[in-house]
Amino acid sequence: MKFYMNRRSAVRTLLYIAGGSLMLPCCMRESGRASIALTNLSVSEADEQLLAELVEALIPATDTPGGRELLLHLFVLRMVDDCHGPAEQQVFTDGLAAFSGWSQKELGRPFAEAAPDKRTALLRRIGESGGTDIRQFFAVTKSRTIQGYLNSQYVMTNLIKYELVPGRYDGYAPADRPPAHG
Amino acid sequence: MANIAIDSIKERTFDAIVIGSGASGGWAAKEFAEKGLKTLVLERGRDVKHIQDYPTTNLYPYELEHRGEMTYEDKQVNPIANRCYAYGEDTAHFFVKDDEHPYIQDKEFDWIRGYQVGGKSLLWARQTQRWSDHDFEGPARDGFAVDWPIRYRDIAPWYSYVERFVGIAGNSDGLATLPDGEFLPAYPLNAVEDHFRRSVDRHFSGRHIISARCAHLSQPQPVHLQQGRVQCQNRLLCRRGCPFGGYFSSNSSTLPWALKTGNLTLRPFSVVHSILYDQESGKATGVRVIDANTGGELEFYAKVIFVNASALNTNLILLNSTSGRFPDGLGNDSGLLGKYVAFHNYTAQITAQYDGLLQYRTDGRNPAGGGYIPNFRNVHRQETGFLRGWAAAVGAGRYERRSRDGVGHELKDGLLHATLGNWGIHSHMMAETIPKASNRVWLDAQKRDQWGVPLLHISVDYAEDDWQRRQDYYEQMTAMYEAAGFTNIRTKDTPRRPGNDVHEMGGVRMGHDPKTSLLNSWNQLHLCRNVYVTDGACMTSTATQNPTLTYMAFTARAVDHAVRELKRGDL
Repeated sequence: MKFYMNRRSAVRTLLYIAGGSLMLPCCMRESGRASIALTNLSVSEADEQLLAELVEALIPATDTPGGRELLLHLFVLRMVDDCHGPAEQQVFTDGLAAFSGWSQKELGRPFAEAAPDKRTALLRRIGESGGTDIRQFFAVTKSRTIQGYLNSQYVMTNLIKYELVPGRYDGYAPADRPPAHG
Repeated sequence: MANIAIDSIKERTFDAIVIGSGASGGWAAKEFAEKGLKTLVLERGRDVKHIQDYPTTNLYPYELEHRGEMTYEDKQVNPIANRCYAYGEDTAHFFVKDDEHPYIQDKEFDWIRGYQVGGKSLLWARQTQRWSDHDFEGPARDGFAVDWPIRYRDIAPWYSYVERFVGIAGNSDGLATLPDGEFLPAYPLNAVEDHFRRSVDRHFSGRHIISARCAHLSQPQPVHLQQGRVQCQNRLLCRRGCPFGGYFSSNSSTLPWALKTGNLTLRPFSVVHSILYDQESGKATGVRVIDANTGGELEFYAKVIFVNASALNTNLILLNSTSGRFPDGLGNDSGLLGKYVAFHNYTAQITAQYDGLLQYRTDGRNPAGGGYIPNFRNVHRQETGFLRGWAAAVGAGRYERRSRDGVGHELKDGLLHATLGNWGIHSHMMAETIPKASNRVWLDAQKRDQWGVPLLHISVDYAEDDWQRRQDYYEQMTAMYEAAGFTNIRTKDTPRRPGNDVHEMGGVRMGHDPKTSLLNSWNQLHLCRNVYVTDGACMTSTATQNPTLTYMAFTARAVDHAVRELKRGDL
């Protein structure tokens, strides 16, 4: 547990270093607003929590951390807020609201309260959700979640190691040698 | 009071003034300072000190807030800078933002600029190839532009001189079209690039694939260690500035070397307004500068002035240097100043895959980027419907494929378990363009920038023969790919605007005759001989080579000439 907490706090610290302005963990907030400062997106605390459950459903915790612990929902928000235009941002927030309603209707309860297998089963049926906003919201969220995951400190230092300083080049390396990444 | 004024003038008087601190300006600074001349380098941007002013150099991808991507807002505000391949979250601080120095696009032109000490030498692609006599003799043989006033033998020793100090990785390939130089060990081709090289050797006479030659220290020599530079560590994060000095920049190499002599004064935030001309002596006496911080105007004086402001800014300064003797710009009796601007056509790519050699992969990163195909078109005789030719970069690699399918455990497993794809091959074209009088820059009669300098008009465009060269590149590369057994061959037009190649050249071209050129064989203005131009503005034609090495060689040669002339009292 101690390790878990340390790792978690390290991730949050990193997010802060990376320029995110994380203020407080979700459970300690009373403002009802998202936990990072957003310029363009209007996202409530409830929206953020739904997004956290969604990134966790996309990349679940196993013996390695999942999307929620890696704060990928905040990464998704940061990227949509800063790197997408107003039209895509509107689709994102509309799609998020529509997804919330659609998933509640399909699952008979809020997405956050559904069992993991029910959530993944629902996400596999996203194409049947009817709304283009939902599908576009999901496509952006999935794509940014994957980007945030593969480029997270955890993955880049533990799972797919990124070399800042390779110090070598071999154009005839055996293909069966474990890969080095860069 | 009189004494104070005299002291002030003395403090602002040097032996040599160099305008600009990029690759060529840095070389002018080094050469003058080493030869004992009190030298002033004027840089319009801020100072960038080696290592300490590279804020992103050691950042991991996850330490960049947007993982390298530019924000939507930045893309709206800076569309020109954003179209440059090298502009990103980790390098944006070394680029001029669109509104920082406005210009007028009479035709679409991406003017990519780096206003800081070191200029674009921090950002360059570091590819370095010598010109050959095929290139220098081109205009005379093929009847365009004007004859170059020099030949390869004139510049060859200066290529060597510059290469030894810069550090160039490459092989001696024995090709007449791309003369060998003073090389550090090359970065070898990888398995598929090598396969391609052998196939081309076998099937196509006169065509060659060589290891790309680049300004990286593959094996540093004492002269590089003396600069404080060490071996390139294959990071390929060069454009952030390299803490190892693994590639050449003014910041890591020539400027600190010049500063060590005690003869260099480096003045950032100094926007050069114009060059001062004295009709009586027929010489330039100094430069007028706008201090970018205070807006104040001041003058500096010297016996010799080198203009290395980057090609189009060099044009701008000379056009703005008007006097009773030269109402249309310094040395511009011919009316050709600002004309015959040219560039490189980079608008084509061709990709393919190869299903063999699966026992190999690459490991680490190759600073050279792979292979280089020197121009083989129209070398010995005119053989196509277009003049001159093209060179090509070519590289191969195997990419790890990660499935992005599904959600949950399926997605996570897919992302974490890569499979090695087959080899992919990529090439891009680097084609010569023919200088034309209609491709030109000039000053606006009314509009001024924030420093009171007239805005530059730019009217530069492609021509029909550029697309003929591109078609030939597609056809010949396809044939070479097919002969090598590559499949899934795809050509791709890349609609880059002129300027986006960042190889703008000309406007102050060299030549034999003041009636048809601005500069003589030593890069002196024909009509004002103590002013030298040795950056891209001096180029009479473009050839296909990446040009920076040639600018550096011109600069070292011209400084040597200037110092000899000064000693003789001829300047």
